This record gives sequence, C-alpha cells and structure tokens, in this order.
Amino acid sequence: MVAPGQQSANPHRPSEILDTLKRLGFGVAIAVPDSWLGEILVRIEQEPAIKLVRATHEEEALAIACGTRLGGLRTAMFVQNAGLLSMGAGMVSLAQRYQFPLLMLVSYRGTIEDPVFYHAPKGRVTEPVLKGIGLAYALADRNRPIGPQVERAATYAEEASCPFALLLSQEDVQW
Amino acid sequence: MVKAIRPGRADYYQVLADTLPQHALVVTALGNASYLWAAMHHRPENFYFEDAMGLALPLALGLAIAQPARPVVVVEGDGAVLMHMGALVTVGAVAPGNLTVLLIQNGVHAASGGQALTNAKLDLAALARAAGIAGAQNVTTPEALAAAMGAPSDGAGARCLVLSTNPDPEVVRPPIAFDPVLTKHRFMSAIGAPRYVPTMFGGGRLQHD
Repeated sequence: MVAPGQQSANPHRPSEILDTLKRLGFGVAIAVPDSWLGEILVRIEQEPAIKLVRATHEEEALAIACGTRLGGLRTAMFVQNAGLLSMGAGMVSLAQRYQFPLLMLVSYRGTIEDPVFYHAPKGRVTEPVLKGIGLAYALADRNRPIGPQVERAATYAEEASCPFALLLSQEDVQW
Repeated sequence: MVKAIRPGRADYYQVLADTLPQHALVVTALGNASYLWAAMHHRPENFYFEDAMGLALPLALGLAIAQPARPVVVVEGDGAVLMHMGALVTVGAVAPGNLTVLLIQNGVHAASGGQALTNAKLDLAALARAAGIAGAQNVTTPEALAAAMGAPSDGAGARCLVLSTNPDPEVVRPPIAFDPVLTKHRFMSAIGAPRYVPTMFGGGRLQHD
C-alpha cells in the first residue's frame, strides 16, 4: 500500500481502478453512463474477466447488481451521483434490506471542481441524501493512490454486508 | 392480452411447479407472487421479494448472468414491469438463454389491493418483442403454459410468456417466515455460491468451500 501523500506506482487513476477490480476478482460491472465514465466502461467491455452490463436506469442497475451478487459474482456498479438520488427506494427496500454487498463507483458531479454548471443541484444534495438513506460512502482522496481506496471500499461492502459508494472525481475515473 | 375469463395465478403456478427443472432458480415479485409460490412450492432455490416493486425482473437478469448453467424463472407482474419497463430492454440486449420471464397480466395492481393500472390492455408480449425479446408470446391457458415450458429453449435469448390471469387481491398467508436475509443466505447456500472470507482470516476474496 502506498503511504498517504506519495505517488501511486500507476499514476493513471482510472486504469488503477480497473487493475484493482481485476485483482480483487470482480466478475461483473453494472453501469449507467455518465460522460466521465464513458471510456472506463469501454475498457471494462474489453476485459475478458469482467462482464459489463449496460442498464437503462440506476435503480434497475442496482437490482441487476443484487442479482449477480446473489448468484455469486463479486459485483461493481458504475453510476453518476444522479443515479444515487434516483435509486433510493430500491436501495433501502432491496439492497440494504437483503444486505447485498455492492461496490458502487460513483462519478461525483456538481462539486466546485465540476465545470458543468447544471450538475450543481445534484452535487449540493448528494451527501445529505446518502446520509438520509443510510448508504455508507466515502469521498476518494485525490492526493492518495486510488487503488487502495477502491479496495477498502470493496472490503467494507463485503465485511459490513451492505452497498458502499465511493465518490470519485473526474481525474479518478475519466480515462 | 387480458381476456374476459382467465385462469387464476394458482392454475399457472401448478403448471410451473409441475414443469420446473430440478436445478432451476425462481425469483418471485412482491405480494401474492411470492406468498402463493411459497405456499405451493417452497424450496431453498426460491428468492422471494417482499417489496421493491418492479425490481424482480432485473434481479433475475443478474442472477441468470451469474448462474448461466441453471434455468432462472422470474414471476413479475404487469404493474411492476410498467414501473421499470427499461428492464425488458436490458433483458433483450443481454439475451440470456437461461432466463424465462413469466409476466402475470391481471390488469390491476394486485399487491396494493387491486387498484387500476395506468393501462391494463397493453399487448405486453408485443412490447417485450419490441424490446428485443424475440419469442415473447401471450398465454391464456395453463395448458398453453405447460406446452411452452416443455418446449426446448433455442438458447438465443430470454423467453417471455405473458400470462392472462384473474386478479387475486386477497392476500395469501405464506407458510414460512419471510426474513429477507434468511431468504438470501438460504438461496446462496443452496446454489453453492462462494462465501466471502474476511481479511482478518487471510481472505478478502470470494472463495468456494
């Protein structure tokens, strides 16, 4: 593990995310597009060990992810934070109620780092909503390697038997 | 399409119980879809929904992806599929040959007491075909369901059978506890799913025993 403040061995953070998922044995990724996520999803699609499923809506993606995890596959989700806002009912009544461990890798739009102004309303309410629905989450630290952060998020999901959302910046996830 | 005289859910469930392959996995939607199936054919390989309306179909899709060697059957309602119609498109795109979708078309929101659907007369089989599930068909009798279940899958994609059904708004009391975590663990144990070995025991991975 790289100590805080040091550079990762792989400074390209999106490829470090992908390498970490492969190393941890993730077998499937369920995704709904966001412009920051576009290329990493294409890269996942090219990986023989990880199946990519493109869903039409984030709550649907959440249910597909519960099904793949129920069937024994370690499962990651790639969604924008807008999707966290729209999947609330399924989160509490399915994923949390049945205690499905899911790693949610979330493009965190609408922060002050985001140049696209219309995402701001979503950025402003994302963390209060996550706290409100009791979804465990963390903000990725851009000054530390991203791979160990993804691994800790995945570990938390499994060992606490719940979904865990890691909120990612543009440089974390845009290839 | 909804007909004037229709079989009941139990009539179709008896056919399902009689034709279900031994190693099949069954996902049932909320309400009587789960309660009645538990009463008629409880087994560990059943995954029962209690709530989360509209999400049984996408969960079953994920299960079919993860368990490609097993047939997966999902019982979903017409009201539920209207809530998440996009899931039909995803099923059509993924095209899992081991997934059978049984869509109960009773024309009402039965789980909430029989309230009206937004549109009770849609041709849901045509809708499923348009979504990419090529062989979707309407079924109006238990005999027709038995014939469809007995027909070999062409493996080219999911099957979708829309079952014209009489509404059953009276709630069936299930014979077992519907503890959701118990349901999940019982199911995963029955299919031999790998378990997570925690980091402190030298794991941090999913492992088969």
